[in-house]
Amino acid sequence: MNNQQMQALTCKELEYISDCISNESMQIKLCSTIAAQTQNQSIRQACQQYVQTHEQHMQMLADCLRQHEQLAPAQLQ
Amino acid sequence: MTQNQMLPDKDLLTTTLADLRRSVREYATAATEASCPTVRQMFTQLTDSTLKMQGEMYQLMSSNNMYNAPSQAARQEVSKRLQSAQQTQTQDQQFVQQHLSGGMGMSMGSGDNQSHPGSTSQYS
Repeated sequence: MNNQQMQALTCKELEYISDCISNESMQIKLCSTIAAQTQNQSIRQACQQYVQTHEQHMQMLADCLRQHEQLAPAQLQ
Repeated sequence: MTQNQMLPDKDLLTTTLADLRRSVREYATAATEASCPTVRQMFTQLTDSTLKMQGEMYQLMSSNNMYNAPSQAARQEVSKRLQSAQQTQTQDQQFVQQHLSGGMGMSMGSGDNQSHPGSTSQYS
């Protein structure tokens, strides 16, 4: 990511990121549940893969928050 | 094992697929509303990745007979829509020609002319 382009997060962006983290968390749990209980090998493998992908998404969202943390104003004007 | 399941695979996968569809829409909307370019780029990547996953999950369910695709559209209906689309295209070409090639005084949004200088070539 290009630091020069980075701007402080808007309230809207922050809300979206938070909502998306909740969504990814739910998907991780759902896919893990399916992978654990299914008798179907192809479904198990696919769901294990989906868990990893959702974990990567979660990491991207958390990294984004971390990268923008210092840019956020300490006090609102 | 099977009797210990809270919900059958099909129900869980259906819920997951619906959730992925919702996530794709949410990521796409978030991308359009992002102000910071890096945030927009991230949401765009997440839209692509989630859309890909949703497509894979649909194929997985379909190949395991867990998803019934909607019934096929009849040829007559497709032909009717095609004809209608062609009419729309012709009307749009006329509209663009009237407004962009010398259309003096007729232009509804003269400021737009500058932003779409090459738009007529798409239809030729």
